[in-house]
Amino acid sequence: MSAVKDYETQEVKINTRVLVIGGGMTAVSAADRIAGQGYPVVLCAQEKAIGLSAENRPMLGLTDTGKKSLEKIATSVQSNGNITIKTGTGITRAQGVSGDFTIRLESADGMTDEIFGSVVIATDFAFVPLKEFYGVDFSETVLSQSVFEEKLAAQKDSFSGKTVLFVTGLAQEGSPLVMERVFRSVLSLTETPGCTPYVLTGDLKVASENLEQIYKLGRDKGAVYFKVGDKPEISQDGKKVVFTDPVLRQRMELAPDILVVEEAVAPDPYNLRLSEVLRIDMGAEGFLQTDNVHMLPVRTNREGIYVAGGARDVKNLPESLMDIDNISNEIHSFLDAGVFPAIRDRAVVDEKKCVICLTCYRCCPHGAICWEANRAVISVVACQGCGICASECPQDAISLVQYRDEEIKDQIQKGISEGEGKPRILAFCCENSANEAFEMAKDFHMELPKGLRVIPVPCAGKVDHDFIMTALADDADGVLVFACHPGNCRSERGNTFAKWRVEEAHRMLGAAGVPKERLAFATISSNMGREFVRIVKEMEDQIRAL
Amino acid sequence: MKMDNKKVMVIGGGIAGLTSALELARAGISVELVEKNAYLGGQAIQFCCKAADTCLQCSACTVEKVLKKVVNEPGIRVHLQAEVDKVSKNGNFSVKLKQVETDLPKDRQGDCDKDYDTDPEICALLNGYTKNRPSVMKCEGPCSFDVDAVILAGGFKPFDPKIKSTYGYGVLPNVISGIDLERVRRAYGKLVRPSDKKTPGKVAFIQCVGSRDERLGNLWCSHACCPYALRTAKAIKHQYPDTEITIFYMDIQNTTKDFPAFYATAKEAFRFVRAIPVDMYPLEDERVKTRYLDEETGEAVTDEFDMVVLSVGIMPSPDNPGFSELLGVKLDTDGFVEETDKLEKTKTSADGVFVAGTSCGPKTIPASMTHAGQAAREVLAYLGEAK
Repeated sequence: MSAVKDYETQEVKINTRVLVIGGGMTAVSAADRIAGQGYPVVLCAQEKAIGLSAENRPMLGLTDTGKKSLEKIATSVQSNGNITIKTGTGITRAQGVSGDFTIRLESADGMTDEIFGSVVIATDFAFVPLKEFYGVDFSETVLSQSVFEEKLAAQKDSFSGKTVLFVTGLAQEGSPLVMERVFRSVLSLTETPGCTPYVLTGDLKVASENLEQIYKLGRDKGAVYFKVGDKPEISQDGKKVVFTDPVLRQRMELAPDILVVEEAVAPDPYNLRLSEVLRIDMGAEGFLQTDNVHMLPVRTNREGIYVAGGARDVKNLPESLMDIDNISNEIHSFLDAGVFPAIRDRAVVDEKKCVICLTCYRCCPHGAICWEANRAVISVVACQGCGICASECPQDAISLVQYRDEEIKDQIQKGISEGEGKPRILAFCCENSANEAFEMAKDFHMELPKGLRVIPVPCAGKVDHDFIMTALADDADGVLVFACHPGNCRSERGNTFAKWRVEEAHRMLGAAGVPKERLAFATISSNMGREFVRIVKEMEDQIRAL
Repeated sequence: MKMDNKKVMVIGGGIAGLTSALELARAGISVELVEKNAYLGGQAIQFCCKAADTCLQCSACTVEKVLKKVVNEPGIRVHLQAEVDKVSKNGNFSVKLKQVETDLPKDRQGDCDKDYDTDPEICALLNGYTKNRPSVMKCEGPCSFDVDAVILAGGFKPFDPKIKSTYGYGVLPNVISGIDLERVRRAYGKLVRPSDKKTPGKVAFIQCVGSRDERLGNLWCSHACCPYALRTAKAIKHQYPDTEITIFYMDIQNTTKDFPAFYATAKEAFRFVRAIPVDMYPLEDERVKTRYLDEETGEAVTDEFDMVVLSVGIMPSPDNPGFSELLGVKLDTDGFVEETDKLEKTKTSADGVFVAGTSCGPKTIPASMTHAGQAAREVLAYLGEAK
């Protein structure tokens, strides 16, 4: 009973054109990198301008050499024969599967359908002033962080002798990127004669390179920080600010000459549309990609679609370029020379049974299924072999070649009838988590129940309702279905499907008078050998007690 | 675009070294992976799963996944218990390795063959914390090879809490470090305190132990400690709902992008105190007493805990000066390897030597992996064939 099975591969031709979505330096760098790898790139930006002028993030701490190298990339992209630039253009439709997407590019001039093998989403977030939260109006003396930075760059001397107060991290949780802007502004002001910067803030977000040092430097040079926690009372003109100093425990009143108000990080609203059109999962806070650790840093639920920088999180420019390098690795490995070594017949559809009910199309987390005239077609390039479709198909028309139902049922039979040890517990173990934990338990010589029989499955989503019922009907003493923790399923929803099926089975078993202790659902991760043993032993004890 | 004739040495078999080795191998590069310990996976492989009712994205499980791929990758040759002895650069790098002795108690091996429970921690060390052990490839006699580039992924050293002696680490049995807690939870699958192996009812986490410490000259945030403390606290609360947890902190750092929602639930589940206690005193039953300034009242408050966890920070590897001498890479004033490019953050001051992971500064597991992916890509560009 080997977990890793031998398989045949087949070479599938895939399109090597890459669509890069976005207009800022992340997108431009992506286009530059990928075109440099020899793949034709279409850079498609909703904005009219691309490159440095489309970049929302201030170039924090960047040297002139750094700026020049960015300018060079932005210029070279314009004249790179391998890159087609389409500005003012959006994505309105996408069909097909990984390696062969047909994507509609729409602009004021009309629309075209083009074929791409891979897609890189490199949209940017914007900074939105939070004046409503603080109840102030912008004026010559009440500025947003962005406006302040512009003024500081243009006429630093105008802040001489002024008291400047920053309010940040109170309206929103904040991030190192937002914090760095404040720290650097403050540092710059401390170098301005007679200027005293004050900062009212919540938690300082310093988990980024050199931030603690920049913060410390500003403080050493006279900047004053108050971690107030609560929103200060601010007059509408920003001239009077009242708060409680948490150290002195006193009510304080400041009358700043200039009030600088924090900005919220606002992900591109286009992300939502891209998520719908390209069928990739949204994450928290309006960013793309869930925080599923199996996808990090740049993968999505669909093979060949990647997310970078500000499209997936609050990232500064160097971090975004890191994403691009990782995407280059992924694309190199995925597109290679336009031939994909797919696993032959990984999941196949029985044409005679398929009634095109579209259940598989809807439940496939990887967008690997489309349909032709009379049947569903599963892409060998996009399929990850989780088997959710095979278990959900109401016609039983789909089978996973490496995990045929007959083989699994055979394993169930043998698990019940062969060998020693009682009570006989059959554990369906996802190969990404529970099967690994089981192997670890064995390897570390942890004591496992003698009657335990492990049946590896590619994902808990492949545990059919039928397997559970067959096992119990055939006199297994207990059935355990192991899945990955919610949010940790490599196929995003396989664990959810497994849980539903166990709940359904529980209802049916309850009606038939079978004790509920005989069937259990548990979640686990690959490095939990000890917990695997505990869960199995608990079930053994419960069954013994029956 | 295969680069069959190119070879790269990766120094360090932690998560950054493993990830960059794997990425290079995927691009057809041969890799010599050099690890001084008897196991692969570095610090990260010692960490436990922190899932509560859902996965909390600590990424500890991905280390197992990457490790498994590395040991099954024919393009990567692993040298365990090996150190770089000499490097001479003449176009490419000529490398000579030397064998290092492990200080693990070899006579205890027998116990672990029979029963992991005898001493889970020793067994974990002997077994490399993981089932995905590489077949040990030791250098017999002089072991030399030539490589075209080097990735330095030498990792970090957890802060030694004994340096802050008033915490009583090593004296009070129930004052432990965050790394100790990871190991205990990984080995036992449950929360027990060292003195009596019972589950503590009242636990304190103290943040910024060794990090953000002006007196020690450690002017950096370690990035990983707020996430690990908050996630571990959540996992404990999930497993033992009656546990009272207090988190002493300066500024809470973010986890992932769902942090606002995550933090909101954490604030309901635990007591957050913006103060860092300094002294720990022993009480009867090996409990621990401490004092801090209460933010609400401004008065000194005493509190007692069954166990205190010190969230130790990420310190530069003590091997960095040696690497600096061997490879010619400059270190920064803190003792981390210096990145010389503000945009492509894996370049060092030495031509052909790239840095990945916590060698050059604190990082979480996913950040180390991302950085290592970049290092691999930079190496490919350096080798001139990454088109």
